[in-house]
Amino acid sequence: MKKQPLATSMKDIDNENKLIEGLINNNDLAYEALVRQYGAKMYTVAWRFFSTDDDAQECLQKAFIQVFKNIPSFKKNSNLSTWLHRITVNEALMMLRQKKRQHTSSLETFYQQYNDYGERTVFADNLGHSLSHNLSNNIEMIFEKGETKLSLNELIYQLPEKYCNVILLRDIQELSTKETAEILAISEASVKTQLHRARLLLKAILEQEDKESAEKNWTVN
Amino acid sequence: MLMIKRLMTQHMPGMLTCEEVDGFLYDFHDGNLSYIERFKFKLHLSMCPECRDYLDGYKNAIRMSQTGFIKANKSTEVPEDLMQAILKSRTSK
Ligand SMILES: [Zn+2]
Repeated sequence: MKKQPLATSMKDIDNENKLIEGLINNNDLAYEALVRQYGAKMYTVAWRFFSTDDDAQECLQKAFIQVFKNIPSFKKNSNLSTWLHRITVNEALMMLRQKKRQHTSSLETFYQQYNDYGERTVFADNLGHSLSHNLSNNIEMIFEKGETKLSLNELIYQLPEKYCNVILLRDIQELSTKETAEILAISEASVKTQLHRARLLLKAILEQEDKESAEKNWTVN
Repeated sequence: MLMIKRLMTQHMPGMLTCEEVDGFLYDFHDGNLSYIERFKFKLHLSMCPECRDYLDGYKNAIRMSQTGFIKANKSTEVPEDLMQAILKSRTSK
């Protein structure tokens, strides 16, 4: 599941240098080679952000526009695949930000059930029960918004941006904590706390959803 | 069981409480715990059904989010018309 760097052998590196030279010299064939050789990998990255054809395609297109624009400033000694990956990720995050709907408010009180470190605030013998009880109002609102329940992807999109981003980068794209911290321009410690908190939120929401589908006549007092 | 758990967490040296287990959860999942920490974590889990459920739920949330996004593990093929559109966007202003 872990990503492999695209250029692994000396031969690949040699080819990569040639390719970069061609790109900088504005060679049409080099550009075609670039798109064909690296497009699929970038498309996969885009897919993991959106999992719909339209969005993934839009993301890939936008990423390549950035690539074309920035090729002249590409430093010859840096890694081409890393650079392309970074551009794709940044474009995806930008698209997500633009798409993000204003639905997050109903989730806000829900977050207060956790402290700043993403830790649950309810323990002891009735662990989980009082927590679920406190959360139920908020979560019920979320799930009743649409006639059908939200897809999990939608749910992740609706998390506050910082939680949504760390989940997408760490758990979906499987980037390291360090890479995630660099892309989001936050500390590695923040990546860790935000991811932990985001996972706990998802957990609580999913469990609530399970409970609701199990108990059809379940009501909130 | 609850009684035993209480006795253990309160009187056994080195035994983690549920709160402490929660603090280890992230690092346990990401494989960052030391051997000793992992041992203590597992020891607590072996005695505490609540924390076992909690860990299961945590893992499940991560797995669910992954399956929601990662539909096909193989690399996705770029449609030819998209490829052409991308190449065209370079030359057309
Ligand atoms: Zn426990």
